[in-house]
Amino acid sequence: MTVAGISATRRDPRRLADRLARPVFLFCAVLTAAILVAVVGVLAVETARFFGAVSPVRFFTEVDWTPFAEEPRFGVLPLLAATAQITAGAAFLAVPAGLMTAVYMEYYAGVRTERALAGVTTMLAAVPTVVFGYFALTFVTPLLRSLWPGIEAFNGLSACLAVGLMILPTVVVLTRSALGAVPAALMETGLALGAARGRVVARVLVPAAAPGIVAAVFLAMARAAGETMIATLAAGNQAHLTWSPLEGLRTLTAFIAQSSLGDAPSGSVQYGAFFAVSAVLFAVTWGLHATGGLLMSRRNEGGVG
Amino acid sequence: MRGPKHARDGIGTACGVVAAGVVAAFLTVAVVLAGQAWSAADPGFLFDPSSRVADRAGIGPALTGTIWLLALTVALALPVGIGTAVYLEEYAPRTGVAAVVGGLVANLAGVPSVVYGVAGLALFARGLGMGASLLAGGCTLAVLALPTVVVTSRAAIRAVPRGLREAAYGLGATRWQVVRGQVLPAAAPGIVTGSCAAFTRTAGEAAPLLVLGAAAFMTFAPRTPADPLASLPTQVFAWSTRSQQDFAAVAAGAGVALLLVLLVMNLAARTIRGRMQGGSA
Repeated sequence: MTVAGISATRRDPRRLADRLARPVFLFCAVLTAAILVAVVGVLAVETARFFGAVSPVRFFTEVDWTPFAEEPRFGVLPLLAATAQITAGAAFLAVPAGLMTAVYMEYYAGVRTERALAGVTTMLAAVPTVVFGYFALTFVTPLLRSLWPGIEAFNGLSACLAVGLMILPTVVVLTRSALGAVPAALMETGLALGAARGRVVARVLVPAAAPGIVAAVFLAMARAAGETMIATLAAGNQAHLTWSPLEGLRTLTAFIAQSSLGDAPSGSVQYGAFFAVSAVLFAVTWGLHATGGLLMSRRNEGGVG
Repeated sequence: MRGPKHARDGIGTACGVVAAGVVAAFLTVAVVLAGQAWSAADPGFLFDPSSRVADRAGIGPALTGTIWLLALTVALALPVGIGTAVYLEEYAPRTGVAAVVGGLVANLAGVPSVVYGVAGLALFARGLGMGASLLAGGCTLAVLALPTVVVTSRAAIRAVPRGLREAAYGLGATRWQVVRGQVLPAAAPGIVTGSCAAFTRTAGEAAPLLVLGAAAFMTFAPRTPADPLASLPTQVFAWSTRSQQDFAAVAAGAGVALLLVLLVMNLAARTIRGRMQGGSA
């Protein structure tokens, strides 16, 4: 190779593109990592600063949440309990309904019905949560109050119903994929042995798909716990501990969204409180999501039967 | 499982009733929304600015804001997300970098959007001094979309048959030529589908924008990304909180407009995907 040959190669635009491609793609990967590290980092730093001013023990044990009062109290339990209530209530509705819908689509519905149900599921999944929040506030709550006059204008029940509807597509889609992974031979064997279809479904197929279904439940609950707009619009903003679904309550997410955070001065203890609550929410949803993901990958590795 | 499905029994009937209930719930949402929105529908509604009088309130600024936010989100998240996926799958699979980035992406994909809003407030609105602007909103939504774009793009790239790459390498193609000529065209339909789902999600997000300080009342349409943050989802929220005061209809109208924006976006993505498949097949 002559010197002229090398310089000709260098000037070849295709060679240049080939040399540039790797650093450009590496840059994208590093940028993605840096952004995501910054997201976690800023939460961690501000939360640490908040816990410098407010004792973590009091944060997790006190039951008063009045961050903007003269003498602010930062007991996160009412918010955490409200999030747990809404999540559990929504799962209580969506898990059986989603499981049964998925079973119907997989084992009973004709092709057309199945396709129609899949269409409805897809459309439900595409509805922005603020629209569900509007629906809960302007339709579900008045309906509940006409049936049950003692119910408050903002209440946990209305939010549970709407969040349940919102997470339903997640349950249906993931349960169907779990059922779809069960070998077809199991159904055929059961039917050949003379068992009724319903018996095979309930005794063999659903138990065989159980790990995947449990994973679906965890992933759906992670979405419910992080749901913000329905909780903000329908459940209200009273941070207090209550077992009654008929009273207003305030979730972790509703506190973050509703308190016009944009106005809190940087560095104030109130500003820090938003990060501490976000960190708690992050931990809750991450735990649910990671558990679901772990169960899901176990299912994929271990096979079924 | 595609056996004879006509067999009916107690469990099947119960499941059928529940499935019918799900359809009924969906139809109730649709009918309530459409019924309320109907009374807000007039040509001015699409272009008028917000107003203190419900009858005169329109979604002009909010609609413009949502289109800006969508454009910014796609422009920021799509190249970086696809680039990251290409690096992880084609340049550095099974390395430390891939493990770290892959782990971050997988763990942050399930974080609630409102948490991204809090991080966006600290990083973009305050840290980089963007304030409650469309740019800050676009950056925050792009970060929110990024993990999903990376995950779905990686899956699409991984699904490209190995033989396609090997044939190209065998003919003397460089890595970049293989990526550009074979891998990306073959993976493009999958990337478009996955990314479109991510952007449908972010375009409907209200929570992170509320945290950034989205304007509830905007009298002019934003013209540049530095203008105040307005969007359809936050407008639906703002009017919903005033639904007792005649704002229920305009809130529903804004909700229907948002759903139409998402529908148009999905149809556009489907058209693009159709063209790609027609061209590469």
